[in-house]
Amino acid sequence: EKKMTNDHLKKLLVYCMLCCTQKIIVQGAQTFQTKVALLRHVEPNNPKCFAEGIRDLTCFWEEDEERAGSAKQYSFIYTYQNENSSECNVTALPAAGGRILYFCRLSQTQLFVPLDIQVFRDGLLIHNRRLHIELFFLLDPPVNLTVKRTEKQGQLKASWMPPPLKYLDDSMMYEVSYVIAGTQMGQVEEVRASSEVILLGLQPGAKYSVRIRVKLDGVSYNGYWSAWTDPVLMATLPGDLDPLIVSLTLIISLILTLLSLTVLLSHRRFLLNKIWPVIPNPESKFQGLFTVYGGDFEEWLGYSAGGLCLRPAYFYSEELPAPLEVLSEVSLDLPSSPLPPKAKQAPGEDEKLKRIDSLMERWRETPHEHWLMDQLRVLHQLPGPQCSQLESQDAYVTLNAQNHSGEEPLDDILEETLPLQALFASGRTCSESHSDLGSLQQSSGSGRLSTQSSFEYPNHTWPPKGPGYTYMAVADSGVSMDYSPMSSSRIDYMGKGVIYTNEYRNEIPAHRQPIPFAF
Amino acid sequence: MSLTAPRYSGLLVVLLMVLQWAGQGIPSPVRPICDLRVLDHFIMEARDTETALRGCKAGCGVTGTFVVPLTNVDFLVWETKDIWEQAVEVQSGLSLLGQALGAVGESLSNAVMQSLITNNKSNIRSLGQVLHSLHIKRTPPQVDATIMKVSSLSELLSVHINFLRGKVRLLLKNAPVCQQSSP
Repeated sequence: EKKMTNDHLKKLLVYCMLCCTQKIIVQGAQTFQTKVALLRHVEPNNPKCFAEGIRDLTCFWEEDEERAGSAKQYSFIYTYQNENSSECNVTALPAAGGRILYFCRLSQTQLFVPLDIQVFRDGLLIHNRRLHIELFFLLDPPVNLTVKRTEKQGQLKASWMPPPLKYLDDSMMYEVSYVIAGTQMGQVEEVRASSEVILLGLQPGAKYSVRIRVKLDGVSYNGYWSAWTDPVLMATLPGDLDPLIVSLTLIISLILTLLSLTVLLSHRRFLLNKIWPVIPNPESKFQGLFTVYGGDFEEWLGYSAGGLCLRPAYFYSEELPAPLEVLSEVSLDLPSSPLPPKAKQAPGEDEKLKRIDSLMERWRETPHEHWLMDQLRVLHQLPGPQCSQLESQDAYVTLNAQNHSGEEPLDDILEETLPLQALFASGRTCSESHSDLGSLQQSSGSGRLSTQSSFEYPNHTWPPKGPGYTYMAVADSGVSMDYSPMSSSRIDYMGKGVIYTNEYRNEIPAHRQPIPFAF
Repeated sequence: MSLTAPRYSGLLVVLLMVLQWAGQGIPSPVRPICDLRVLDHFIMEARDTETALRGCKAGCGVTGTFVVPLTNVDFLVWETKDIWEQAVEVQSGLSLLGQALGAVGESLSNAVMQSLITNNKSNIRSLGQVLHSLHIKRTPPQVDATIMKVSSLSELLSVHINFLRGKVRLLLKNAPVCQQSSP
């Protein structure tokens, strides 16, 4: 059992040694390949030689696979000054790009003396070179690179272990590369004869990637830059608010604020007009309307009616009174017959019809000029129907002077396209479609109603179809509408029937003159 | 930005003072000079002389044979020698180089080169003083296998540079006095 145990232990030991050796060989091979790749770019001469320590030298060259031969075809002869020549065994390895790499490694060398190297292939000299080995060092990268924060902001301390080479430690120089992680912008710091450095002027609170490489300083020894170490990440201390910067920031902010206020105050009127424009006040045009009558235009009109004639500006305002096309059929018959289908039959309309009849009656009785206005005012006081005041259902008041003999459907009469004469010619029934004459005196908020009145004021007067032709002129000044009978005859004719209304549009012919008023 | 090394001009002043005292024969305790930057400075000046020689036609007219020390260093062999053997080898080599440079300076026609050679010769004397500060005794030059002969100024200057970079530096770096004083 002991023998078996010893055998097992021996096998295990051999296995471990093999693994370690294999690992070392693999690492060595990787290192060799890395150095070969480095020298391939920086050394133009052949053979390319480098020393990894004070006792070795490795030289290699590459050839295309087409021209390449076996390693035995090559001879590597080296000669130190004042000494005899020696030969090194050449080894071949496959290289990238279909090339063959030949190399020779000397394990015992002499420094500070010229060395002549000659490479032969099948007896023919292909490479010849003289060099001093102490000037061709290619070291391994430093190890154990450590980056720490210092107590001060914007600083990092990097330390590392130099390559373990005797006699060369004080001849080494290092390059420390530090960049902000994730960026390409950074700096390179050179350090001589020291294995630590404090990086200054770094950004507070930033993460830095630090790496380092080594080379001999070139005085007694020289060589190539080694490969970079693996980067080490470290963040600097977050920055504190510098009191000077804070105070300067406050002062500058205060100055900018004062400047802004000064500019704003100097242009306050302009800015106010832009941001909050003044609403035009028509009070100047209507003296006393707001101060005395509190904006009640009716009252203002009533009290100032006597002076309207003396105030032509009232009639000749910026907006010319719109001519009103007044179309209606006034039937003298009582509304015993059913109302036309288009007429609105809303609850409360019966009362209104009665009201209108009474108005007609009164109209016959009081053929005063102001009677119509009064009636219109009364009508305005009536509760409005469900229809909106904004609807274009203003009342048309037409006084038809003819006796209508025929019965005609009301629908024909409702066509707006019918000429005025035709309407006046027919239409013996009056139907009430809308009674909201008060909508004519719309508040300024709606702004529509008064513009929807039109007055067809033909050049020729209405042909008197018959006696008793009556008409009323309506003036729309844009604020309110004024009704005034232009002439009347057979007023009693208006007492019958219902008022027939139609939609109308406001058209102000350019050539129309403002309607003269006469009460 | 990193911490920069202090300049060595002050050390040169100290060295000159030491040399002056030594020249006056006044015995005084000499502080060991272990800073290798002095040697590096001498090496740089030797290189400048070699570079200047390239601009000189036909070796500046210098002819003759010069006995110079061997410069090759096999670390396996070097490390087998003790410090005194190394010191003897270095001192004899410096002596030979000093003699050779002195002979060259007399035959140079180029004033610039003559000045540089004279400076190099002075540097060799200074190195002798540095070695003296390390308490390494002088020894007369020996004709042995550690010497060779050169026949041109360029070879002489090359040997001069290699000797300084190699054996002299190795000796100064490993001087026991300097090893004791370093942290």
